[in-house]
Amino acid sequence: MRCAYGLAIPASDTRFFTPEPFLRLPRPGSGNPSRISIGSFRIKAKINEARKETSFYELLGIAESGTLLEIKQAYKQLARKYHPDVSPPDQVEENTERFIQVQEAYETLSDPRSRAIYDRDLSMGLHLAFSARRRSQYHERSEWKNRWQSQLSELKRRSMNKDAKGNLSWGAQVRRQREEASKKP
Amino acid sequence: MNMVVCGSLLSYHSLPRLLKPQRPALWCKKQFCVRGSVNKPDAEEPRRIMIRKENEGWKIDFSGEKPTTPLLDTVNYPAHLKNLSTQDLEQLAAELRADIVYSVAETGGHLSSSLGVVELTVALHHVFSTPEDKIIWDVGHQAYPHKILTGRRSRMHTMRKTSGLAGFPKRDESVHDAFGAGHSSTSISAGLGMAVARDLLGNNNNVVSVIGDGAMTAGQAYEAMNNAGFLDSNLIIVLNDNRQVSLPTATLDGPASPVGALSSALTKLQASTNFRKLREAAKSFTKQIGGQTYEVAARLDEYARGMISGSGSTFFEELGLYYIGPVDGHNIEDLVTIFQKVKAMPVQGPVLIHIVTEKGRGYSPAEAAVDKMHGVVKFDPATGKQHKPESPTLPYTRYFAESLIKEAEDDDKIVAIHAAMGGGTGLNYFEKKFPDRCFDVGIAEQHAVTFAAGLATEGLKPFCAIYSTFLQRGYDQVIHDVDLQKLPVRFAMDRAGLVGADGPTHCGAFDITYMACLPNMVIMAPSDEAELMHMVATAAAIDDRPSCFRFPRGNGIGAVLPPNNKGTPLEIGKGRILTEGNRLAILGYGSMVQQCLEAAHMLRTQDIYVTVADARFCKPLDTELIRQLASEHEILITVEEGSIGGFGSHVSHFLSLTGILDGPLKLRSMMLPDRYIEHGSPKDQIEEAGLSSRHISATVLSLLGKPKEALHFKP
Repeated sequence: MRCAYGLAIPASDTRFFTPEPFLRLPRPGSGNPSRISIGSFRIKAKINEARKETSFYELLGIAESGTLLEIKQAYKQLARKYHPDVSPPDQVEENTERFIQVQEAYETLSDPRSRAIYDRDLSMGLHLAFSARRRSQYHERSEWKNRWQSQLSELKRRSMNKDAKGNLSWGAQVRRQREEASKKP
Repeated sequence: MNMVVCGSLLSYHSLPRLLKPQRPALWCKKQFCVRGSVNKPDAEEPRRIMIRKENEGWKIDFSGEKPTTPLLDTVNYPAHLKNLSTQDLEQLAAELRADIVYSVAETGGHLSSSLGVVELTVALHHVFSTPEDKIIWDVGHQAYPHKILTGRRSRMHTMRKTSGLAGFPKRDESVHDAFGAGHSSTSISAGLGMAVARDLLGNNNNVVSVIGDGAMTAGQAYEAMNNAGFLDSNLIIVLNDNRQVSLPTATLDGPASPVGALSSALTKLQASTNFRKLREAAKSFTKQIGGQTYEVAARLDEYARGMISGSGSTFFEELGLYYIGPVDGHNIEDLVTIFQKVKAMPVQGPVLIHIVTEKGRGYSPAEAAVDKMHGVVKFDPATGKQHKPESPTLPYTRYFAESLIKEAEDDDKIVAIHAAMGGGTGLNYFEKKFPDRCFDVGIAEQHAVTFAAGLATEGLKPFCAIYSTFLQRGYDQVIHDVDLQKLPVRFAMDRAGLVGADGPTHCGAFDITYMACLPNMVIMAPSDEAELMHMVATAAAIDDRPSCFRFPRGNGIGAVLPPNNKGTPLEIGKGRILTEGNRLAILGYGSMVQQCLEAAHMLRTQDIYVTVADARFCKPLDTELIRQLASEHEILITVEEGSIGGFGSHVSHFLSLTGILDGPLKLRSMMLPDRYIEHGSPKDQIEEAGLSSRHISATVLSLLGKPKEALHFKP
């Protein structure tokens, strides 16, 4: 299972995000230890890759505080420059790749929301391509579902004890009084 | 022929084979009801299916006539939703969307906010039972699906029209509307009140408050959440997060970046920061694998439990609310599950369910528009293009913005502040020119006023552009922080007077009253757009005390504008006489002057010539002008579009203090009546209020002893 940052959690499996199965994670010697080590290797490789790449701002040639207008202008300029139709035949491959990167950069930075998320990642030292995030958004939704399911079970657990004598809140007191009143014959 | 079986999916093209009902509702087994639609047997075209289920969801075809809505037709009240399956609810949501788009296309109103909460509304009504359970919609402009599902579908074509449905929930209109809304951020407070009352009375119903991320920027929401956490009463708060945070009036170029720190907090909630913690833990786990796995696993468990109980939800938990989310707000199955589970719990306390929706979802022109088609006039459903009526003049708002820009070009101390209403106040234009000098504080009028006061202490010239009705929220700040300290803050009160379709919740009836009673305030009102520009200049020039001016909704009358949109400051406390007459003088204040001039014109046909004067200032009053009018005429009528206690009161107070009222002068004051004027067209509202030119003429005639002549004037 992939989470938002494109890192694979070893023993990749959805059960990981519920409280109990932590204790059921594969112990060394059982399961597939080789899978785990490959996983961590992949993690390291991905992180290194992410750290080395140029940021979207560098790609577009603007400052990190660039306005929407500047982003648009830079994008238009570069798009015209790198479009496969206008590039010389020997540079088509490289330019197409550049073009796609520029496209991604523009998509991320022109939407204030995704730009905010991207800026935050950048400040933490990670640059991740938009496409990786897009793929992760789908998984994000299924992660959300796991999360709120667990939140619901926790709430249910809490609600069993909510009106215990120790709880002095106004609501608890009124509810206790009502309970006692209804028990009387 | 298309056939529909109650409680099952829509039909397919390849009939006449009878449909297989996919998941028939239980009650359907007993009575097999088939509703066939009438088609001529020799119909040439097969009926187009406008609402179809595709892989990712329901697709609605907006290019033609309004699609048939077989499932929605069976729902008149929330009770009819109870037996529908999830599939049916999804189909119902699609049909509801189509209904809303076609309905708003006819009447105008608020579109995209309603589209964003269709699934939420369906889920709420499926799980809860109004009117016993209470659902409170914050602001209320997203309550169109709610109105459709609660018995008002047949009246949707009267939305926002005179004597029709109100554009916001209204207790008088239906028992299913638990609380009236219009201004934002009141839903949690009201919901808490209903919850506490339920507890004291020993009842058992549920209370649900639906509030948006924009409304969350107002302080009242925090006051309410804080109190809710403290009282610990059972209350469900649904935070409808469509990531706009600040009304999506947007800048002229594109969506505004989210306002304030709140949005980044909400972004964090959605972007799995907790998983980061978890991942770091996982990394350290893999390092130690082979070693003390038990301890490591226990540590991970701790992280996980912390994450899962919603501790990543920052302030909500701190305030004492249990946080659940984020949840996909367009997934009916998820929503129904959560609501059912929370409802079934023995005791919940205050619970906040954070759902993420998309404003304008399901209608691509709205999704693509810069302002997401938040408030629209009539439009074409196929393209989303609005039929904006042609007008030779611009709205007053625009004239205000242009003249403020001109002032700011000459004086770099001028700054503008608004409360999440960049489009509504016209300050988007100002922001485009002077992005560093325009401040959007979110839905926080109280803060906006004191913030402006703070700016003024340092010598800047702040213009607070806040609607007359919304300035009510910041009234104490106007008195205590601005007027008492005599700080030169300028208030530009748009939407003063009656506002038409929005109704009494947005009506600016009280600003003359509440501003004119303040000792240090200069109060003015322009009679047309040129006067407005001059008053902007006047306000910019008043630097030793606070000042304000009010202008109405609507377009200018076509007055000659000052060259280059640059106004010249008026002499403070001086009005002007517009036409001369005898026996009777009408002293108008603000845009009512136009009605007075019209009345004078009508009276000329009856051979009556009245003097019409424009007071311009309510404080300081043009006492010389009033004395002159009083001495040269038998009768004086004051006219204003405000409540009692405003301009007319100040004039009569002056006249009585100076002893003029002891003399032969007859004085009458025309103002808004002592009741709320319902929503409707501006023309109808003015008639209802008794302030049209016809009413003014009738008043004049009856005072002159000729009441029957008033019948000559047709309404």
